[in-house]
Amino acid sequence: MALIKINNLSFHYPQQRIASLDTINLQIEQGEFVVLCGTSGCGKSTLLKQLKRELTPHGEISGDILFNDIPLADLSPRQAASAIGYVLQNPENQIVTDQVWHELAFGLENLGVDSMTIRRRVAEMASFFGIQNWFRKNTMDLSGGQKQLLNLASIMVMQPELLILDEPTSQLDPIAASEFIAILHKLNKELGLTIVLVEHRLEEVYPLADRVIIMDQGRIIANDTPSKAAAALKQLSVHHPMLLGLPTSIRLHHTLGHNDEVPLTIRQGAQWLSQHYEAVDVLPIEVEKQPQEPFVINAEDVWFRYDKNGEDIVRGLQLQVAEGEFLSILGGNGTGKSTSLNLLSGLLKAHRGRIKLFGKALKTYRATELYNGLIALLPQDPTTLLVEKTVALEFQQMTNQTEDIKQVVELLQIEHLLTAHPYDLSGGEQQKVALGKVLLKKPKILLLDEPTKGLDGYSKKILAAILYDLQQHGTTIIMVTHDIEFSAAYCSRCAMFFDGQIVSEAEPVTFYSGNHFYTTAAHRMSRHLFTHTVTMEQIAALCNTQHHVGVHR
Amino acid sequence: MKKKQLLSLILLFIVIPLILIVGVTLFNDGKYTIISIIVVLIACIPFFLSFERRKPNAREILVIAVMSAISVAGRAAFAWLPGFKPVTAFAAITGFKLGPEAGFLTGAVSAITSNILFGQGPWTPFQMFTWGILGYAAGLLGKTFLMNYKATLIVYGIIAGVLFSLIMDIWTVMSYDGSFNWTRYFAAAGTALPFTFMYALSNVVFLLLMYKPIGDKLERIKVKYGIMQHH
Amino acid sequence: MATAFHYSTVSMLVRTLVGDEMKSFYDYHPFVIFLYFFAVIGLTMFYMQPVLLIISFSASIILALFIDQTAFFKTAKWLVPFMFIAALINPLMTHDGELIILYVNHRPITVEAIVFGFAMSIMLLAVIFWFTSFNKLMSSDKFLYLFGKISPAVALLISVTMRLIPRFIHQITVIAHAQKTIGMDATSGSLWQRLRSLMRIISILISWALENAIETADSMKARGYGLKNRTTFHLFKFDRYDGIVTACISVLFLMQVMMSYLNWTHFDYYPTFTAIELNTPTILVVISYTILVCIPIIIEIQEALKWRSLKSTT
Repeated sequence: MALIKINNLSFHYPQQRIASLDTINLQIEQGEFVVLCGTSGCGKSTLLKQLKRELTPHGEISGDILFNDIPLADLSPRQAASAIGYVLQNPENQIVTDQVWHELAFGLENLGVDSMTIRRRVAEMASFFGIQNWFRKNTMDLSGGQKQLLNLASIMVMQPELLILDEPTSQLDPIAASEFIAILHKLNKELGLTIVLVEHRLEEVYPLADRVIIMDQGRIIANDTPSKAAAALKQLSVHHPMLLGLPTSIRLHHTLGHNDEVPLTIRQGAQWLSQHYEAVDVLPIEVEKQPQEPFVINAEDVWFRYDKNGEDIVRGLQLQVAEGEFLSILGGNGTGKSTSLNLLSGLLKAHRGRIKLFGKALKTYRATELYNGLIALLPQDPTTLLVEKTVALEFQQMTNQTEDIKQVVELLQIEHLLTAHPYDLSGGEQQKVALGKVLLKKPKILLLDEPTKGLDGYSKKILAAILYDLQQHGTTIIMVTHDIEFSAAYCSRCAMFFDGQIVSEAEPVTFYSGNHFYTTAAHRMSRHLFTHTVTMEQIAALCNTQHHVGVHR
Repeated sequence: MKKKQLLSLILLFIVIPLILIVGVTLFNDGKYTIISIIVVLIACIPFFLSFERRKPNAREILVIAVMSAISVAGRAAFAWLPGFKPVTAFAAITGFKLGPEAGFLTGAVSAITSNILFGQGPWTPFQMFTWGILGYAAGLLGKTFLMNYKATLIVYGIIAGVLFSLIMDIWTVMSYDGSFNWTRYFAAAGTALPFTFMYALSNVVFLLLMYKPIGDKLERIKVKYGIMQHH
Repeated sequence: MATAFHYSTVSMLVRTLVGDEMKSFYDYHPFVIFLYFFAVIGLTMFYMQPVLLIISFSASIILALFIDQTAFFKTAKWLVPFMFIAALINPLMTHDGELIILYVNHRPITVEAIVFGFAMSIMLLAVIFWFTSFNKLMSSDKFLYLFGKISPAVALLISVTMRLIPRFIHQITVIAHAQKTIGMDATSGSLWQRLRSLMRIISILISWALENAIETADSMKARGYGLKNRTTFHLFKFDRYDGIVTACISVLFLMQVMMSYLNWTHFDYYPTFTAIELNTPTILVVISYTILVCIPIIIEIQEALKWRSLKSTT
């Protein structure tokens, strides 16, 4: 029996002519792990919200949704709340109370469950998720990954039959994200929980799914097993933005135009490559070159700690950046890379060492000078820069040069957003507006703090194009990121941060082909054949130069 | 429903006077300190009960929590200016925009939470009541046309600052003398003048600078998400 | 001056709510802890009889020392001199009393007024010290549990607010940094400029907070908030020991109320001091009061002895 049956569901938001959901027909079986994907605005989140009655937005609905063959609207409020669990994107926003134990109990309190039962269920869940060690902590003391795990656990205590997750890992770092996905997999395999997951980071999740549903413009365009769905995607245009989010192996398969079984994982991708192509010894594409003087930034032996008696966060940082470079700084959480960014921007002061900007000591600049055309920092959270009622006002507040505003708006292609309220925009759009504000100061050096966090593949590509444009006009860009793939594809130099300092740096090809674990999916998939390929495009280019083995094109 | 309203009325008009009378006659050496604390605490109960009875929805809870948390966080942000506190102004703005009950709760909850974080003291009930009642008054004023003028905002800010200071002085004086003493009251009010001035000034500054932006934001949330439309 | 200290105390008073040093009384049911402090602080404010004042004052210090020595000395360091001065001011303002020492401006300075000044200061000090212990022992979750008994909805509101405050304080720094890099610095410039920048930061914070709060509200609704018959869960258990201590506190407290009603605890400073007689009522008052205020200290010492014997046997 199908757990969820959706018949001819259509949905219009009030005052919108285009349907957000257009005759959706879908069945989800008991115990399935379904991954739902598509570009932002394709209707996937809208569809999820239709499945959770309490969150369904106002609008015009037709068609019906059956849960265990009962219309969703006919479920009792109690049943609707407990049987369908919903995890949202932002781990912070979902936490209601100040204590971990209270957060776990919150849903059961609402259901009117008695204390003894709550005690037992909470204990059970805390043990399953390994929460017992921070059970009596304040929720504010948890890491991002722990917070999202807590959100999941506080829904699981209500013993849902269906778990819906809307991009639950988009705000997490890669390690926390993997752990979260692993727990989901465990819930599905060991408890038979039915899961519907929306994600745009598909590399890991895609092969785990029993079924993949792909949406575009409010319709379902593919609904099949992962490999069949991937094959079906070939029917789409090569330039469809959806394709950018797929795992590297599928994109490679797609690009090279094969018709056999689609490889889904790194391992399958590597095997598939060996079957069809031969190893080639390729020399590094570029000879490694060090940045040349004059440096726009020169940090020598920089040390920093927050408290006088605290531990050093940055320990002897050395960094030279030449004009027009696009440098990415990578590394795990808490290694001090974001702190370093704040040091370079002058927000924090080093207690030892020297930082020079354009050959002059950073501390001798006045703030008005520094942040007015020399250096700018795009914060991780774009909303920290947004204050006005419309996007246009945000820009006018920065400058009265309408010509400058016009230029920036053109560069970012956001004419259509100017009258909107900043908080009605998507995350990617908010980021563009924030970037626009920062660019109006015409900085020579642009610092970015995890600019790709929460962006889908297509938005990343657009961001890359904007940054490339800036770089061509002489802007030096330094970015702190967890996004290996992005930095491999677009940066001119990569630096690895560890234990408060930079431990290795090189241009991307040398950098990533030199790493064994901390490297791109493309490199892990292809290094046994081609030693220096770090992006899918590079593999494809090399493959295209040879006739493949075992041809069945 | 009726029963609880009755309870509030009983509390306000019977229990409180009763405590006052019993307190004054029984302990004729005039230990008004404890009596006043108990009276102030009981005076808050009807407001809490009416919130309880209304079964507030999630969004209402969140909006009041946000306003209270911001006034406490704001108090921390302005800690370098002694006596310069945004709490009254934020409770008032919430009152103006979302009604007397929201105003009272924002003020009272700000007092409770900031005292949980920074330490409770005998002043907690007075603070809770004063900030709450100032927010409540703002809620009543917000229903009139009066609050659309800068002049009335300034007047409200000054009066609220003076009232806050005076009520807080009552407890200091009473705790010192055990009874109320006008000479000492004026002396205390006099020595507290710089603080009274800062309270009033901070109220006026916050109201003038923040009334419009916060008001707009609350209006937006009200319209976009349909919060507290019953006021 | 009088108003000065209700705020400055705030920052000086204890900040951390959970003290490891004190396990025993801390672990009692919140109701017991509340009842104890209600009784003790109430009586301390009520009694002006010097012997009883000294008992409460000493006990408040001993308990505060048991719980957190550094916090106590930090508070005492500035509070004691302050109260000393406050005590000296009293005879300048009150000229009642019969034992006149000298005249200032033709106004008498009396022994009664001096002693009363000191008595008041000691009482206030004791209250503040009791509150430092109270703040340590009554952690936020205990407080919320008790508050939830009066009004569950307001208790939830407080809990949500407690969750948001540290988040907002953090976000204020994040916004301040972001604003600084686009030329809006809240840490330099004239006072007016700083104020404007800070107001801007708070304005940004409010937008951010309100918009994000909608998602929190959704998370509440998604977990069934608003259904009928909501229960409140807590981690506290009222066990046999809690019962015994509650009974002790109640009996002793009622005794004090009775004896006050009988005027056994009465003491006047003006026109001159009431004589304290060493009779049965006085002895009864003093002994029962001492036991009442010392309950947590007794529990604490017992606990320490128990640990010692446990350690020595293993």
